Amino acid sequence: MGRKPAKSEVWQGTLALMILRTLQGLGPLHGYGVARRIEQTSGDRLVLNYGTIYPALLKLEQEGYIASEWGVSENNRKAKFYKLTAAGKRQVAREQREWQETTDIIARFFEPGGETL
Amino acid sequence: MRALRVLLLRLGNFLGQSRREREFQEELEAHLQMHIDDNLRAGMTEAEARREALLKLGGVEPLKESMRDRWTLAWLETWGQDLRYSLRSLRRNPGYSTTAALSIALGIGASVSIFTVADGVLLRPLPYRDPARLMMIWEANHKHVDSTQNVVSPGNYLDWRARTRTFQQIAAFRYLNSVLSDGHRAEELKKQAMTANLLPMLGVQPYRGRFFTEEEDRPGRDTVILISHRLWQSWFGGDESILGRKVMINSTPRTIIGVMPPGFYFRNRETDLWEPFGIDPARNYRQTSGRYIMVAGRLNPGVTRDQAHAEMTAIASQLEAANPGFNKNWTVNVESLRDSLVGNTRSSLLVLLGSVGLLLLVACANVANLMLARCASRRREMAVRASMGAGRWRVMRQLLTESVVLSLIGGASGILLARWLVLGLLILAPKALTGMADIRIDLRIIVFAVGLSTLSGLLFGFAPAWTATRFNLFEVMRQSGGTVSRRGSLRAWLVGAEVALSVILLTGAGLLFQSLTGLQSVSSGLNPANLLTFRVSLPAAKYKPEYRRTRFFTQALARLGQLPGVQSASAVSYLPFDGDAAGTYTAIQGRPAPRPGEELLAVIRTVMPGYFQTMGIPVQQGRDFTAADNEEKSPMRFIVNEAYAKKFLAGTPALSTSINALMDATNPYGQIVGVVGDVREGALDKPAEPTIYYPHARLNYPGMTLLLKTQSDPRTLIEPARRIVQELDPAQPIAEARTMDEVLGETLARQRFSALLLVGFSILSLLLAAVGVYGVLAYSVTERTREIGLRLALGAGPAKITAQIVAAGARFVLAGTLAGIAGALALAGLLQGLLYGVEPRDPATFAVVPAVLLAVALLAAYLPARRAGRLDPMSALRMD
Repeated sequence: MGRKPAKSEVWQGTLALMILRTLQGLGPLHGYGVARRIEQTSGDRLVLNYGTIYPALLKLEQEGYIASEWGVSENNRKAKFYKLTAAGKRQVAREQREWQETTDIIARFFEPGGETL
Repeated sequence: MRALRVLLLRLGNFLGQSRREREFQEELEAHLQMHIDDNLRAGMTEAEARREALLKLGGVEPLKESMRDRWTLAWLETWGQDLRYSLRSLRRNPGYSTTAALSIALGIGASVSIFTVADGVLLRPLPYRDPARLMMIWEANHKHVDSTQNVVSPGNYLDWRARTRTFQQIAAFRYLNSVLSDGHRAEELKKQAMTANLLPMLGVQPYRGRFFTEEEDRPGRDTVILISHRLWQSWFGGDESILGRKVMINSTPRTIIGVMPPGFYFRNRETDLWEPFGIDPARNYRQTSGRYIMVAGRLNPGVTRDQAHAEMTAIASQLEAANPGFNKNWTVNVESLRDSLVGNTRSSLLVLLGSVGLLLLVACANVANLMLARCASRRREMAVRASMGAGRWRVMRQLLTESVVLSLIGGASGILLARWLVLGLLILAPKALTGMADIRIDLRIIVFAVGLSTLSGLLFGFAPAWTATRFNLFEVMRQSGGTVSRRGSLRAWLVGAEVALSVILLTGAGLLFQSLTGLQSVSSGLNPANLLTFRVSLPAAKYKPEYRRTRFFTQALARLGQLPGVQSASAVSYLPFDGDAAGTYTAIQGRPAPRPGEELLAVIRTVMPGYFQTMGIPVQQGRDFTAADNEEKSPMRFIVNEAYAKKFLAGTPALSTSINALMDATNPYGQIVGVVGDVREGALDKPAEPTIYYPHARLNYPGMTLLLKTQSDPRTLIEPARRIVQELDPAQPIAEARTMDEVLGETLARQRFSALLLVGFSILSLLLAAVGVYGVLAYSVTERTREIGLRLALGAGPAKITAQIVAAGARFVLAGTLAGIAGALALAGLLQGLLYGVEPRDPATFAVVPAVLLAVALLAAYLPARRAGRLDPMSALRMD
């Protein structure tokens, strides 16, 4: 409950977005699958502690962006599957917009001559 | 919103926590398995695969911890522990828990039910706009009638209306009975005639249609009528095309112009018809008529009742000076509408509220007592918890949680109990008390009850919790449970207080009960046994000339008298004990006319021959009316009651004295042909008023109450009586058929109600006090088991031990009794208005009641004391 250092909060914020995007792209997925997929998408440049996925998933579920149910994995293991809700889809769109805006702004500072404006 | 959702989810998770944890465990296991599978497929060894997967997941326990953290609210969890622990500990001591919860349930149930009734009668706002500004304006004349709520002369009303500045509006109304008929059916209904401004003044809106216009409120134009929602449903089947429909009211056509909102009433809940009053401003009402209307008004904003009262009194003295013949000694009385409705029921209710408060205190003291006793026996448990590091606050919180849980359980059962009690109250309660009120248990009252029980839980859990946690750890641990404890003194005080409160309650109940039995033995002056009464109101428009009504009643009574089982039959204009009466001035021939303000006032009743025999009123001198007295052309003859003869004719032989009544100059004098016994009209505890009886032919009322004296159950004659009336006139209903016993019962109902409740409360409090005494002594015996065993072993006789323990109990019971007597003496004055025939400080009551209580308390003390005397010394010493 808010006892984590600020750096981790930022990381978790981005992690939530990554989870949402992953679920949007791939459909219902279990926690392990989400974690693997995030590593793959990052071109293995991100090294994830898989445990951090679960608090993030719980937070997203409590906020109503994702829903979960028990199902069977591709190699016949009972696992909990997460999927995006309607509110989650809207959240992805919103976050994507905001992220875009942030990167646009930051990008301007790295444009040639940006520092003299 | 989202924050709320998270909170709710967490709460939900908290409740289903173990399932959640299990699921999370499974989820993590599935994760690891899938990871291991993948690693194996990538060519790792079994051990490597597992190790890598665990490493990548991080520590499982911290993860679980953070999940739990996110799932639930930490404080909620410890509170939950307290709660669970409390429930478990209460379950382990069912005797204690049940007694304590039952105590609270009784206390709360009784308080809530009485509060509900008091709330409906005294507190809940009247269903009108800004009801605090609504007043009743009465005339008052202390010289003639001991009433501050006398009805008003229309002439004075018109002058008030013209002169007042403190009132925004003044409106007049009166009650009437009238027959609604449609050719097939006929029913007698309660009707209110009111000036056109009354309904707008109350601030209500019609449900359908409209109210009266000022134009329709004029004599001759008043052919419109409003009906109640209830009548609209029952008689007209909720017909939407009702507006404009013509109906016959008292055989006169009237047009329905509106339906009142459901549940609307003004002063009389049973009203189904409203019509314009039709007061004629041009007529001089003070010339001919008496006082017979009621007046209500709405104060201007910011005006107080006292200001309005002062202004109206000034107007009344102007009117007194202007019309001395009519207004001598008459003044006005302004009171709030609420006060006028509640009237003398207020004192009963306040007494009941007070007693219920006492009962609640007794119940709470009892619970505190039980808790104290229990905490004492749990001191070692507390000490153990403290020695293991629990802070004092933590232990106290645990104990308080327990007491609040207990009182909430008690409170919830109390609310359930109150639902039944309120139903019972409504059955027992006099209509005068509850008839106008909106009585129900609503959310406010439930909140009140929950608040009350939580408060009593905290309040009476605090002292025990404080005492129980105030210990010296070493001392407690060193004690081996058997030494004498000095901690019983607080408990003794509580029991003493309980006893004192119970004495107060019991004394009050004793006084009320005595007064009730006194009232029941007061002779009403008539014999109500096997007497059926019902009203027949002939439409004045249909029965013309007036004598046709006399003929109708004569025929009806002749046939009713023939019914098998009927001993005699008669009729009267206003049934005694039924509230209504008519009064007027009277004069005695040969005496100078009284000066204005000194007139003789008498009650007037019109009767049919045989009335006194039917009612069982003794004829003391002369004779009853005969058929000959009741002829159209008979000479005027009167019968008066004993009070009239004593008060007005003192010294003159009553028979053959000529008197008149109605204060009409042309009203003929007539001879008194009989003197009859007094009937105590208004209330049993008031002396009878001087009364003049007229034969019906000479004072012709369209509506009469018929009376049948029968050999057996009079109710079986209702249907035959209805048939006979309808044989004479098929469109003629009969109304309010009931026995005279029922009519009289209503008069006693108020006293019976208070007395019954108070008796109930005092029995409860007596029981609670007995439980309290028993509890304290039983625990002290348990605590002292070793000491008692030692003394027995050393040769003390069992009888001596028993006596000592009873004496220990008797000390505080006696102290409580004395305090209670003092308290009851101080409070007895409050009962004054409710008592009849018994002094508020009646010595017998004050001797018997404490004796009864003392006996019960000593019995409660004896039981544990006897147990102590019978202890086996050896096993007592070996204990612990």
